[in-house]
Amino acid sequence: MEFLLDSFFSALLLLWSIDPELVEIVSVSLKVSSSSTLIASLIGVPAGFFIAFREFPGKRLLITILNTLLALPTVVVGLFVYAFISRRGILGVLDLLYTQKAMIIGQVILIIPIITVFTISAISRIDERYRQTAMTLGANALQTAWVIIREARFGIVAAVIAAFGRVIAEVGISMMLGGNAKGFTRNMTTAMALEYDKGEFVLSVALGIVLLTVSFGLNIFFNYIQGRARV
Amino acid sequence: MLYELNNLKKIYGKRTVLDLTSLSVEAGRIVGLLGPNGAGKTTLLEIFAFLSEPTSGELWFQGKEVEHENNKLRDLRRRVVMVQQHPIMFTVTVEKNLEFPLNIRKIPKQRRGKVIDELLDLVGMGVFKHARAHNLSGGETQRIAIARALASSPEVILFDEPTASVDVEHQIAIERILREINQEKGISVIFTTHDMNQAARLADEVIFLFEGRLAQSTYENIFSGQIVPGENGEPYCLVQNKLKLGINKGHMGPVRIAINPNAIQVSQTADDPPPANSFKGRLLQLTDEKNKVRLLVDAGLPLSVLLSKQDFAAMSLDMGSSIWLTCPPDSIEII
Repeated sequence: MEFLLDSFFSALLLLWSIDPELVEIVSVSLKVSSSSTLIASLIGVPAGFFIAFREFPGKRLLITILNTLLALPTVVVGLFVYAFISRRGILGVLDLLYTQKAMIIGQVILIIPIITVFTISAISRIDERYRQTAMTLGANALQTAWVIIREARFGIVAAVIAAFGRVIAEVGISMMLGGNAKGFTRNMTTAMALEYDKGEFVLSVALGIVLLTVSFGLNIFFNYIQGRARV
Repeated sequence: MLYELNNLKKIYGKRTVLDLTSLSVEAGRIVGLLGPNGAGKTTLLEIFAFLSEPTSGELWFQGKEVEHENNKLRDLRRRVVMVQQHPIMFTVTVEKNLEFPLNIRKIPKQRRGKVIDELLDLVGMGVFKHARAHNLSGGETQRIAIARALASSPEVILFDEPTASVDVEHQIAIERILREINQEKGISVIFTTHDMNQAARLADEVIFLFEGRLAQSTYENIFSGQIVPGENGEPYCLVQNKLKLGINKGHMGPVRIAINPNAIQVSQTADDPPPANSFKGRLLQLTDEKNKVRLLVDAGLPLSVLLSKQDFAAMSLDMGSSIWLTCPPDSIEII
């Protein structure tokens, strides 16, 4: 137990001194995870909207598959993307392996199901009268969709935050597709894993603190905007 | 003609909700759609609002047949607006709610403020301009919804039970607003109600709907019932398992009957023995109608009775008092 306490205090010192290596690692994490969350949102939110509103054959099957993919292990995504972008893969010529782009691709695949499924459930909860009201007031299809998305905004923001939480904390994809290259693809989770392997706990603990703080901050922010809207 | 319908049907699953052979509605008037719950009033209103597509038949709007294709419907929807029975507000301020139809019609920003203030004034809800629309009461919501509907500067405005879920104060205000919209802005108004008095008060014309069909508006006291053979062989009509009414003739099975309110006899004491088709009820409501008085009586079912003023004066009836009604078989018509 003692090593954890010692590491904890050393970690606080490291954070206090704004260690450049630590800053670099944190910024890689934030950059990669924000990018993947943004891209996945641009795909997942409209997809969720479409699935919630349209009737098409195989809709239930699709939702079941998406629900299954919520539990997608990161290493499976890593392996799958690796098959495409490794030298022998069909996208090998693009030289994507062990880059931040590769990490983003993997993370996008990981969280599209999360954003889509949560968007479907957020939109399905919206009262049917909103659609009718928008239409009778003269809105076209796009304007009607916008009204419904606006009413479902908290559910959709929650979906995006959950997705961000998933990618910033995942390690499998970052390790397999990023390769943990110092200064390029080393992020908080891969650095923690490495430091743990080396038996160095200080940086690990410091990064753990940062990771939890980011999640905590996001949730406070979310609660704040939700609370403001309910007044 | 504003609307014309020919052989229009709306079927949900196996249930025919609307079955109208022919109906026309004139422009510029207040038209009441009167009927009990489940008569198809809301469905008809949704069809008038181009929100619901008829299963079959023709719908004409302002002399043109309506084609139910999405891009064409939007242009029609911009001329007709519907206010639902329980309107829903967007979870933004009242002002933003009213701005929505202005915004999608690309009304310039400078003009929007003026329009919003005018409309809030019209419905008497100016103080709520900056309130969160979701925190309003039912009556307030209803009035704001009317203002929001007017913001889309419609030619026709459709109200589904505009006063069914509001208190008396709002009811009076809403009826005034309906008249004002029609008389001052020249907007055609169609509203549904199950309240005969409201229909008579507000509407220039009343359309009576019963079980998805048009009923002649002269019919009142319409009930569905069952004709069954009686003990002595004479058939009688059992109305909603509550009243047994002897009738002149009729085939066995389910029917709709109308009881003529002018032919119902009223007395304060029961004759001994009570004549056929006689039963006790409680006087709920009195309304003055030209040279008659309308009594609403709870006899297990709500029955409307019309008495001449002399007969009424001779009886000195009190609200809530028990009275005896007799419906002679001649007063009951099978429709």
